Amino acid sequence: MASAEIVDTPLNRDALEARIAPDEHGAVCVFIGQVRNHSRGKQVASLEYRAYMPLAEKQLLRVAEDAEKRWGCQVALWHRLGIMKPGDASVAVAVSAPHRAEAFEACRYCIDTLKALVPIWKRETCPDGTWWIEGEEAFPASEER
Amino acid sequence: MESALPEGSAPGEPPSNQLRLIGAHMPSSGGLSSCLLSGREIGCTAVQLFTGNPRQWSHPPLAEEEIRAFQNAREETALPFLCAHDSYLINLAAPDADVLDRSRNAFRGELERAHALGIPWVVTHMGAHLERGEEEAVARLIESLVRILEETDAAGCTAGIALETTAGQGTGLGWRFEQLGAVLKGVDHQQRIGVCMDTCHIFAAGYDLRTEDAWENTLKEFDAQVGLSALRIIHANDSKKGLGSRVDRHEHIGKGEIGLKPFARLVRDARLQHVPVVVETPDAHTMHQVNVALLQRLAAGGTGVFVEVELCGHFSEAGPLLQMELPENTSLQQLAEILEQKDARLAGLSACCQFAVNHEFAERGTLLCEGDRVAALPPSSGG
Ligand SMILES: [Zn+2]
Ligand SMILES: [Zn+2]
Repeated sequence: MASAEIVDTPLNRDALEARIAPDEHGAVCVFIGQVRNHSRGKQVASLEYRAYMPLAEKQLLRVAEDAEKRWGCQVALWHRLGIMKPGDASVAVAVSAPHRAEAFEACRYCIDTLKALVPIWKRETCPDGTWWIEGEEAFPASEER
Repeated sequence: MESALPEGSAPGEPPSNQLRLIGAHMPSSGGLSSCLLSGREIGCTAVQLFTGNPRQWSHPPLAEEEIRAFQNAREETALPFLCAHDSYLINLAAPDADVLDRSRNAFRGELERAHALGIPWVVTHMGAHLERGEEEAVARLIESLVRILEETDAAGCTAGIALETTAGQGTGLGWRFEQLGAVLKGVDHQQRIGVCMDTCHIFAAGYDLRTEDAWENTLKEFDAQVGLSALRIIHANDSKKGLGSRVDRHEHIGKGEIGLKPFARLVRDARLQHVPVVVETPDAHTMHQVNVALLQRLAAGGTGVFVEVELCGHFSEAGPLLQMELPENTSLQQLAEILEQKDARLAGLSACCQFAVNHEFAERGTLLCEGDRVAALPPSSGG
């Protein structure tokens, strides 16, 4: 069964992978996205993710369910919110499937799709201030709301 | 004891004016009179307060100066309705003889203090049976109330008792309307006994009020079992927990499982027009003002539609949460245009945002209804 969670705590890989990979599956593919120390040509000191929670977890689960249906695989998605430092894992996709081709494809589909469909926004704190990132655009943010 | 009850709000007679009274349980910030002053300041026309420390059994009698200061504040604020809430420790149905005795004494004190201050009603929960027999507990509760009323009647006390509907948490009594009705009947003292309906509690106890039909059924049931004429006070609280959860967790008006619309229905219901409404929601210091103003706007009603708009991403810099009154039949597209005109920081919103209504994506043509929760979602950047 597909699983999706949005939390404000660091990634626990064992817990994530425990949700997938029954014995009849021969392939496990895990993707982890981590906070980069630079963005748009600037140094990133820290980064914050905020979500529209009433829809975010629902949407994340829909992506997982969709992938399971298309590739006959098992999917566990994870996204972290709150303030993170470069090197911290912010998103994780874990997929298991009977064979590696489905596992790779489904994993790639999940990360690409969730970026577009899950209402989560990034705030980057750089030397020149804090910025809301929305798609390709950046807007200045007040430091604290 | 001589008490100056405001005209029309004495127990036993409905208030004469038809103004919808709306207010809050005000915490004390130094002296009982501070509850009235701060209540007035945030726009209350009804105030509930503790007349003693709610986590304490015994209280010295009120000092003359305290009573005088309270009366002065009452005059100065001209608050049309006041009620008190009793101590949390009191259990008028307690199986333990010692606790029962302390509870009865403490509650008599509550009534005496209320009378001295000219407060017409003391709200109390109906106690708990603590797994020692529910029927016996109800009988003890009735006996407690009869006794206390007799004794305080004899002393000339006019403050009435408003039994509050409960959420049915633990072994608490009074979550079924039948039980409340049985206690009222058993006490049989119309002048000084009434009921306080708490929306969060009845919802948690399993009485739905989210749709028009559900509200009609709940009110019909209340009328049949308790009697609408016994209803003296409404506690308007949204609920963090679901229907029938039997868990008592108050939430801001419109933000919980009940939602905004039922509160609009409630404060506009002509049958309840004479019943004061008091919020007991969290974050009193910052949020009572917001909740009271919201209920007052809902009560004033008209034909406008109240919606809540959550602004996400960089648009949250202009919000993040707006309560808006819109003309009837406003579409999401029109709302987007209204928002852009309202605040320069919302420029570009219409072009880039997707919208959600009540936590699902919605088309631009969607017409907004009372209580809808709208979210404006710019392109996301998760992952
Ligand atoms: Zn209450
Ligand atoms: Zn409560």
